[in-house]
Amino acid sequence: MTSLSGTRVLLVEDESVIAMMAEDFLTELGITVIGPATSINAALELISANDIDAAVLDLNIRGELSHRVAEALRLRRIPMVCATGYGQGAAEFARGAPIIDKPYSEDKLARALQMALHGAGGTNE
Amino acid sequence: MKINGGSERLTDRADELSALYVLTDRLYRAKSNHEAFDAGLDAIRDGLGCRRASMLLFDEEGVMRFVAWRGLSDGYRQALAGHSPWKVGERNAEPIFVSDIADTDEPAAVKDRIASEGIVGLAFIPLVAQGEVVGKFMTYYEQKHTCSIREIDLATTIARQIGFYLERTRAEEARKLAEDELRASEQQFRLMSEDVPVMIWTCDASGKCTNLNGMLREFWGIESEDIPNFSWYPTIHPDDAVDIGARMTDALATQSTVSVQGRYKNCRGEYRTLLTVARPHFSAKGQFRGLIGVNVDMTESEQVEAALRHSEERFRSAVEAAPSGMVMTDESGRIILVNLHAETVFGYQRAEMIGQGIEMLVPDRFRSSHPVLRGTYGSRPLARPMGAGRDLNARRKDGSEVPVEIGLSPIETSEGLMVLASVVDISERKRSEAQRELLMAELNHRVKNTLAVVQGIAHQTFRGTPATEAHAAFEGRLMALSAAHNILTQTSWEHASLDQLVADSLQIRGTFSNRVSASGPAVLLHPNQALSVALAFHELLTNAVKYGALSNEAGRVSVEWSRTDLPQPRLNLIWSELGGPPVSSPSRRGFGSRLITGGLAADLQAKVALEFQPQGLICRIDAPLPDGMLAQ
Repeated sequence: MTSLSGTRVLLVEDESVIAMMAEDFLTELGITVIGPATSINAALELISANDIDAAVLDLNIRGELSHRVAEALRLRRIPMVCATGYGQGAAEFARGAPIIDKPYSEDKLARALQMALHGAGGTNE
Repeated sequence: MKINGGSERLTDRADELSALYVLTDRLYRAKSNHEAFDAGLDAIRDGLGCRRASMLLFDEEGVMRFVAWRGLSDGYRQALAGHSPWKVGERNAEPIFVSDIADTDEPAAVKDRIASEGIVGLAFIPLVAQGEVVGKFMTYYEQKHTCSIREIDLATTIARQIGFYLERTRAEEARKLAEDELRASEQQFRLMSEDVPVMIWTCDASGKCTNLNGMLREFWGIESEDIPNFSWYPTIHPDDAVDIGARMTDALATQSTVSVQGRYKNCRGEYRTLLTVARPHFSAKGQFRGLIGVNVDMTESEQVEAALRHSEERFRSAVEAAPSGMVMTDESGRIILVNLHAETVFGYQRAEMIGQGIEMLVPDRFRSSHPVLRGTYGSRPLARPMGAGRDLNARRKDGSEVPVEIGLSPIETSEGLMVLASVVDISERKRSEAQRELLMAELNHRVKNTLAVVQGIAHQTFRGTPATEAHAAFEGRLMALSAAHNILTQTSWEHASLDQLVADSLQIRGTFSNRVSASGPAVLLHPNQALSVALAFHELLTNAVKYGALSNEAGRVSVEWSRTDLPQPRLNLIWSELGGPPVSSPSRRGFGSRLITGGLAADLQAKVALEFQPQGLICRIDAPLPDGMLAQ
């Protein structure tokens, strides 16, 4: 497994407790966390202002599907991991990006990021 | 007869007239041919003074036969019977007078026989009826005899009188024969009509009943002698009486055939539907004598027809009232029946659909292939859903499409195979399904988010504490719960398949694919059962990984279950570990073991046994299965 250490990952998650945990997971993996962004606009600003390797994107931000964030990421060819409670129902949104089901473990998050960045080394369970 | 010489001519004249008068009188009074012929011979004797004479008539074979005679021997008659100068029915026959038989060209045998009878001269006088020769009378003379004009006149007059008599008797015989025949045929008709299994009647020109055959008398319960006083009009059903009365009166007035149907009350008081066909009948002289009629009991066939009509009406009203669009097509795919609901589904008026091809209701892109599919259905007509597994759409009048479900039913009729299609507009259902899915997804999202929040709180709570192991156990249990939740989400929280639950909980397709085996029949669990089972499996698996068969490189876990359906459906599941380190009963019951023997047993109403056998842990679960979940 290629190390994720040193990669810059944008975290978009509106639920603060979850965001804190995800930040801990990412930090433990040696990742530099951009964010976390807790709104769509904040996420868009971070995307335009930062150099980002990948993103962990919650599908639903404050009751709104984060399509605009996904579009902005795709425009910049930034790979992403979709974290969601919708399960495989989010496939349409993800358009091939790895999906991880909430609640997820650090291990699962790591594998999904590997897959998003390198196209292998994880599953999209 | 010559009385004296002086007044011979006058006396002769008087004798002739007297003889003719007597003949006429006797012929008029004659009671038989014998009397008539006797009178004829007397007249010949008295008028022509001829002692020997005979009367002959053609018999049925056309042979001239002696019927009366005077002064002839039996032998003579036998020899000369059949001898005739005329053929039967010859017209304009003239009398023949032979003064001496010897002068004729008759065969010698005939001449000899005549001579031996002592006869020299003969006269042949034809007897004529209606212009045709029917016989003759003969006068015989013992000397050569030439007939005078007077004799010839008298002879022909006598012959004419006898001819008249014969004419009259023949006409009378013919009339009598005809009458007898008529009587016989009427008798025969009555006899025949009496017992036939058909109702036959006659009435006179005024419509008065004159005869009813056996079956009709039985129908009305009357005897033959009652017929003169019987009238059938009062037995007609009041609603039919006016029509039948008018039609019969008309038939009598116009002397024409009539056919009329109506209800008549029989002797048991039941109304029966009779179809009457009557024809006028006339006497030989063409006089209208009344009607001859036949009645046929139509009650049963009326009932059959009515039943058929009612069943068709019921069918139509059932189709009409059906809560889905009903469209019936004939063999060629033409629409022959639609109901009210179909108008709503397709947006067409009924009249716009009837008679059109069913393809008018098929979306444009399938229209060309539809007749082929129809043909396929025609070769295997079963009641079944159309296009099973495919999303069907119907085309509305405005060109829009509507999602539908279509059930097809073949209907065999005398006009061929009809197909009744029941078309249900499922756009509302589709909408509510989509709505429901949306709600489920939203609910799921919230539950999963909540679990993630719980996970996050635990994460922060345990962070920096020495309880790493407890944290991991907690997170594992949370994840097991979440995984079971995922399975339930797929079936909209209706049920979970045990097979999938086992596979997901034990990561059979992942980490432990070579170490854990599972087998058993299809069993569906209620959502709460599924959650308990998932948590229990998580505990068993965690235990196996830590201490049991999965804690070394060699051990294996097998999960096997079976289902018994009688008397009540039950699930029997055995978790057994083999090849792990030796097992000893734990000194303390942990959460896992409590969850299994307590929580699972309660949630499943199951008998759960944990056996810490030295060769490996065995867990037995014996649980009742919910009714209605087995069929799936």
